[in-house]
Formats: sequence, structure tokens, C-alpha cells
Amino acid sequence: MAQKGVSSDTSHLYDGKVVRSSAPSRKALAAKMTGSSDIPEDAVPEVHIPSFVESLFGGPLVPKMKFLPADKMVQTLQMASGAVMIMLGVLTYIVTPVSGTAWFWFGETIGVEVLGLAIHLLLVLAAIGCGFWGIISRDSRFLLISYVLFIIVSFRFAASKVSFEWLSFDDELLQKIALVAYAVLLVMYIELTNGVIRFSMLDTSIRTGEVYVMNVKKVLTKYHISLVITPIIAAVVAITTLLFKDVISGFVGIFSEISALRLEESVELESVYGVALGTMIVFMLVAIVFVADIPGRYQKMREGGSDE
Amino acid sequence: MAWSRKSAMFGSLAIALYLLGLTLRNHQLVTVAVVLLSFLTWAALRSAHADVSASGRRMEERSDEEAGASLSRLEAMRKLSAARVFEDGTVDVTLKVQNMSPLSKVLEVRDSLPEVMRIKEGANYILMELGPRRETVIEYTVECPLRGFYTIGPVCIRIQDSFGLFHKEKELHVYDDFLVFPKTEDLKDAFVKSKVPKIFTGAVNIRQPGPGSEFYNLREYIAGDPMKSINWPAYGRTGKLMVNERERDAVSDIILILDSRAVAETGPVSRNSLVYGTRAAASLASFFLSRRDSVGLVSYADEIVSVDRDTGKKQLYVILTKLAGAMARGATPLQVVTNRILPHINKGSPIIILSCLEDDSTIVNAVRDLRARDFDTTILTPSSLEFEFDARRLDRTGYEVLKTERDILISELRGLGAFVMDWEPDMLLSTALAGARGF
Repeated sequence: MAQKGVSSDTSHLYDGKVVRSSAPSRKALAAKMTGSSDIPEDAVPEVHIPSFVESLFGGPLVPKMKFLPADKMVQTLQMASGAVMIMLGVLTYIVTPVSGTAWFWFGETIGVEVLGLAIHLLLVLAAIGCGFWGIISRDSRFLLISYVLFIIVSFRFAASKVSFEWLSFDDELLQKIALVAYAVLLVMYIELTNGVIRFSMLDTSIRTGEVYVMNVKKVLTKYHISLVITPIIAAVVAITTLLFKDVISGFVGIFSEISALRLEESVELESVYGVALGTMIVFMLVAIVFVADIPGRYQKMREGGSDE
Repeated sequence: MAWSRKSAMFGSLAIALYLLGLTLRNHQLVTVAVVLLSFLTWAALRSAHADVSASGRRMEERSDEEAGASLSRLEAMRKLSAARVFEDGTVDVTLKVQNMSPLSKVLEVRDSLPEVMRIKEGANYILMELGPRRETVIEYTVECPLRGFYTIGPVCIRIQDSFGLFHKEKELHVYDDFLVFPKTEDLKDAFVKSKVPKIFTGAVNIRQPGPGSEFYNLREYIAGDPMKSINWPAYGRTGKLMVNERERDAVSDIILILDSRAVAETGPVSRNSLVYGTRAAASLASFFLSRRDSVGLVSYADEIVSVDRDTGKKQLYVILTKLAGAMARGATPLQVVTNRILPHINKGSPIIILSCLEDDSTIVNAVRDLRARDFDTTILTPSSLEFEFDARRLDRTGYEVLKTERDILISELRGLGAFVMDWEPDMLLSTALAGARGF
């Protein structure tokens, strides 16, 4: 018999949860169902498998990239990415003349020379536009399109000798510095925009309680330091390989001035194959460092050095 | 050396641009490729991965030393708040990570949890900067929704470069086991008692009110008390309706038979016959043992596992442990079980069978044998049809056909004199038991 003042349901017994003492009508439920024997859609759990594009950005990403509003760190990275992208756009326009491109050839073939230039300009603007949208909306697909467009713009045939149509540098060193600056900015643009996505993911994970971060400032400081150091190192290596002709002739000059002069005037070393040779030698040195396990030994030394 | 997809993309892009640059004799492309390669190489050098890449050995063959100097001096310790909890209970986990190295490290730490566990508070995934010779404590709470033996661990630690190009991982083999017992329901009344009192050698003074013959106490009438227990002289003296309470007569031997064959796991993970069966067995064991009855458990799967009859709290934990570890496998028929245990059960002992009654053609014969020997047989049968139907894995026609077959079997078992209750998913155990016993 129900007592006065006591609820007739079971909520007082099960922490507020009402548990029915009898099952719902199966017949009524059965009647509502269709005769189809197909597996209903909601019976299969939803599993988000990251797409290839998502996984390139450090996936798995949250479904449909629904990030929480950007925090200060992400906003800073967005601004930095935007600034680098603008600089890259300008530099791309300077260091990649339209001559030698496929669209330049197409414009000349059909007799509308300005078409090649228009397409070239359009590609640069499209790369900037996609990049801008990708950075603002934090959409990796647009960023990927932007990267591809920035690379496509520099696809020129027979561009062995560095030539800038839009700005003329008389000094060869300045030309090479501009070229390296373009390459470094392109790589930094890729890295910074990637950072926007990565830190948005991390920030979302932190705010949804999936991940806990301790000493955030120190973690971010290390990233900031790397953002400064790595491009400098990359630029130095690239300059060294581009100026390989000067380096090798200087080295040979110690032993023979005539040979050094010949090397300095070599057309092959001036061309892209000279750069290739330089790259090969620089990275052979790097390979020796790896084979000798110098980084590992150095790490072990640091780990054990101050042990005693 | 573990490459991320990003580093693989950078690497392949660099090589492609380099080759394309040479083919097209394009300075720009070659320069971009050189910068990309420098970028990658610098990250690899900083991460000190050469030692791993040079070893050429498989992951499982690596020693701690080979896993990388940067990870070799990290240690972890874990402490759990409880080693045994009931379903839906929580366990507080305290993980201590120590950096014995003189260098500061940025670490990703993930404490591996069993899939069914849910994190209620805190996080088991931490990104942190751990200073030289420092330690940190990570605390989180997990909810344990399903019974079983569980292990927390190992602790996975990852160090990666700032750009996420390369990483190095290590598992710290720190494991902690704990047990999740099936949750129990409070059963308010005694539905089952032995028809044949069990007489222990030596007096067993129960001193508990219950069904019996000896007078125990006098108390006020409560609505629902049978009229025959009213003490009319006491009513005449006091003017209040008083009833006689009796001391419970004897201790029963209760035998719980749990069906844990593979078919018992039909249905969703958290709602199937085995889950319901183990919860019912735990509740019944707890209830009868609290009444000082003697309870035994027989669980049959690919083999028959039994817990001898005994009394007391220790017996409860022995039974709960067996129930926690019950795995759905095999297809031992019920008659094999009854044939084996019948010679060892005291005559008249109540037997409670917890089974979905599926895929076993010997059920009717087994119950007939039990009834022929005058065992008080109760069958609680969680219906896997309902679980499947609720999960929409069964269509209407199939459900109706199978339901009809099941109803026929239940009617047949009832005809043999067994108390059978078709236990539907939303029904409380006490309600199901009351239904089975005809209360």
C-alpha cells in the first residue's frame, strides 16, 4: 500500500532515477516498427575516421572541424600566419616571373600574351584568398589548396638562372637571399597555418576536458623558440647550398688558384645542378652525423652528464 | 624513429620538389626543397632520433636504453583508491610521474584505461613540461559501469619535437588491477525458503524475525500483515492491533545456477542476459547471506565453475569475485550441470536458475529432473529478445516468432512446477522474483 507523502515511483530508491516496475508494451512498440529487416541507421555507432587531409594536420580532428572559439595563442598564430602569407604573396610575385610558365606559353600560343600574366596573378591571389579563408575559418582543406597554389605558381620551365622580372637585383647574393627568403617564408607559412590547426585542436581538447595541460606557458615558449630558430637554421643551410659554387671555389683556391677560377666561372655550378651538388654534399655530412649517432650520443651525455 | 604524417608529407614534398626542380631546371623549386629538408633534418637532429633509426630492431626488441636516452629516466607510479568496487562505482587514480633526468622535458602522458571505463573527473591524457629532477601528480576519477577484472596501465609517454614532426614513445609497464563486482539490488523480503529445515550440529541461533514457528516478538500491526498473525489477547489488553513475529526457522542451502554460455551475451554490452544474470546472482547471494543462509554458486560456460555452499561475508566476496570474472563462452547444456551437482545438493534446497533459456534443448529435461527430486526450482530468465529488440537489431516478425517460441518453453517449464519469470529489461529484480514466486 502506498504511504502518504511518499512518491509512488522509484525515484527515492535510485538516486532520483525512475525505474519502472514493468516493461513498456512490446506489442505497441512492435507495431510502430516497419517491416524492413535493414539495420536501422541509429543502430550503428557513429565513428569518425579522419580523412587524409585531416590526418595530415595531425588528426584525428574533431568531426567537421568544430573548434571552440580561438584562444589568445591561436589568435596570435592566425595573425602571424596572415602576415607571413602576405609577405609570401608579395615575394612569390617578385621571385616567380610569368615567363617560362605553362600559362605564359598558352597565352602566347593563342596570341593573348596578357592572359598568361592574368592567370599568374590570379593564381597568387587565389593562393592568398584560400589561405586567408583557411586561416580565419581554421579549415585545413583551404590551407592545403593554398599551399598547392603557392607551389604551382613557381612551376617554370628552363629557369636555371635566377631571374626576377618584377624587381631587379644586381647583386647575386641579394638575389639568392630573396630566393631563400621566399622558400623559408613558404615553409613557415605551412608550419604556422599548421600550428593554427594543431593548437586549435589542443585548445578544444583542453577546454572539453579530454586533455589536461600543465605549465602551458613553458610548452608554448618552446614552440615559439623553435619558430625562431628553425627558419634561421634552414635559411643558413639553404644559403650554403645556393652559394656552394663560392664555397667550393674558395676551398679549392687554397690549393690552386687556377682551378678555383675555373670553378667560379663554371656554368654547371652556377646552374641548378650546382645547387644539387651542394645539397648532396651538405646532406651527406648530415647523414654521417646520423650514422655516427651523434645526436643520440649528445643526448645521452646531457642526460648522464650531471648525474653525479 | 617515428615519423608523423606531417613529416612524411614534408619529406615527400621536399623530394618531389627537388626532383621536379632538377627536371625543370627551376631554382625556386630546388630552394624550397632544400629549406624543407633542412627543416626536417633540424627537427630530427633536435629530437635525437638517430639512435632508434640506426638500430634496425623491432619495437618489442628494444630495451629502455634503446628507446632513447630522453625517455630512459622517466618513472611512473600509480595508486588506486579501491581495489574492489561495485558497478557504477568510482575509482580515484593518482599517477605520479618522475623525471630523474637533469634536463627539462615536454611530455605527453596517457594512462591507458580499459575501454569500458569512463572518466568522471580530471583527465588521463596530460601534456606537460616536467622540470629536471621533478615529479608531478596527476589525479583523475574513473567510473566503472561494467563488472569484470580490469587493469589500468601501461603509462604511455611521448616526446615530440615542437612542430610535431617526429616523436618517440615509451610504455612504462606500471599496471594496477582492480575488480568490479556486479551491482546488487536490495531485496526486501524472503521469497525463497527451504521446505526441509537444515539442522546444523550445534545450535545456530538466528534471532531474526521471519517465517518460522517459534515466537520472536510482538509488534504493531502494519497494513498488509496477514490476519492470522494478529494477537487478539494483546489487542484486547492494549486496544491496538498487535501481531506476532516469529523467529526464522532454519538456514537454507540456496544454489544459484548462472548461465554464462556464449549465447548469454546476446544484446548490447551493457544490457544482456549475462549482465542481468550476474547482477541478480549478486543481489540474491547478498540477500540470502545476510539472512545467514548458506549460498552456493554454479556458473556454466565452456566449463562448470562452482563455489561451495557457505555462509558469511567472506562467502559473499568469493561469489562476487566469481561473478565479476564470469565470461560468456562455450555451450554446456543445463542437464550436464544438473547431473553433476544434484548428488551434492541437500534435498529440498531451493535452486535459482538465471538463464536466457536459449540454444539449449536439455532445459526441459534438466528442470524435470530437479522437480522430480522435489527441488524448489525458480527460473529467472532475462530475455535476450527484448535486449535485441530494444537495440533495434531484431525486426518485428522475427521478434514475434521467437517470442512465441519462448513463451511456449516458459509455459512448459511452469507446467513442470518450476517458478519461471520472464524478466524484462526494465523490471526490478524484486518485482521479477515476486512474479516468479507468485506473490
